[in-house]
Amino acid sequence: MCTTKVSEWVLLNAFPENYTLVYYYREPMSEQARLANNNIVRENKSANIVFKEEKANNIDKPYYALYYRTRLFKRFESAGDLVSLSLSPLREKIAADIMSGKLCVMLYLRSGNKLKDEKGKEQITSALESSPFKGIITFIELDRDDAREANFVTMLLNVEDDLAGINEPMLFGIFGRFKALEPLLAGGITEENVGLMIDFLTADCSCLIKDNLPGTDILFTNKWENPLPALVNKILDENPSLQHI
Amino acid sequence: MQNDTTHVDSLAVRPLPKWLTDRKEGLTTYKPREVIVKKDNSLNISVVLTGLFVLLVVIILTFYISRIQKKRKK
Repeated sequence: MCTTKVSEWVLLNAFPENYTLVYYYREPMSEQARLANNNIVRENKSANIVFKEEKANNIDKPYYALYYRTRLFKRFESAGDLVSLSLSPLREKIAADIMSGKLCVMLYLRSGNKLKDEKGKEQITSALESSPFKGIITFIELDRDDAREANFVTMLLNVEDDLAGINEPMLFGIFGRFKALEPLLAGGITEENVGLMIDFLTADCSCLIKDNLPGTDILFTNKWENPLPALVNKILDENPSLQHI
Repeated sequence: MQNDTTHVDSLAVRPLPKWLTDRKEGLTTYKPREVIVKKDNSLNISVVLTGLFVLLVVIILTFYISRIQKKRKK
């Protein structure tokens, strides 16, 4: 059994899965569309995404569709909607934190209901305060209607296929090469469960976990080479009693 | 926005994330192979066999030497 922690092993070894962006069009494709598509490919060149063009004569007008595995995540009516598809300020910050050796980023997606959001936040901050790993976990809050992060929110709400229809606060653990764990939500955001999320990420990585990695990869411009050493190891070396499987 | 109350019942029965339930049930922990230590009698067997061998050699040599001595007396 290896003693590399889950969070570190996933960052070093688990390549993110590709998204697929498909442009559906009726013949003939306009020159404007061709140029727009070339632009899209260029802008997302280093992201975990594959671009395809597909003829579909039964459609009224052309559109783009973003898929993860076989699931449709979002439909875009024009190339203009694809700005910030694989890059956005918050995703850059999260990636920078992970690359700096942080254990994970806990992203709290607010519901907009102040009472529920505050209740969930209390549980999370309480769990983080009492965790020996609090110094290496970043806690970030995000509003669902944040325009700059619209595509990121879409991806988060597609981590499970029913999340988009649930108006509750959600806590995502983001680790590795931008992998988002299935979230804790509503009454599931408890101090105990947040602690278990931290436990999962700081545990020794086992074959059971490697073969069945949970979570969904988020679309991001991939620059994951040579991360700084995982800070979790320093904490565990100094406190051997925290080691666990 | 969405009607929250319609989700209350469904949330109550909505399954928890697998990584969480696995963690709670210890399914992500690695269980080392159980090593069953069998009792080792090889040393005892070795001592007995060596003893028997030595005894056999002593018997054969005793018999051989006594035969030679009898022939000399004749």
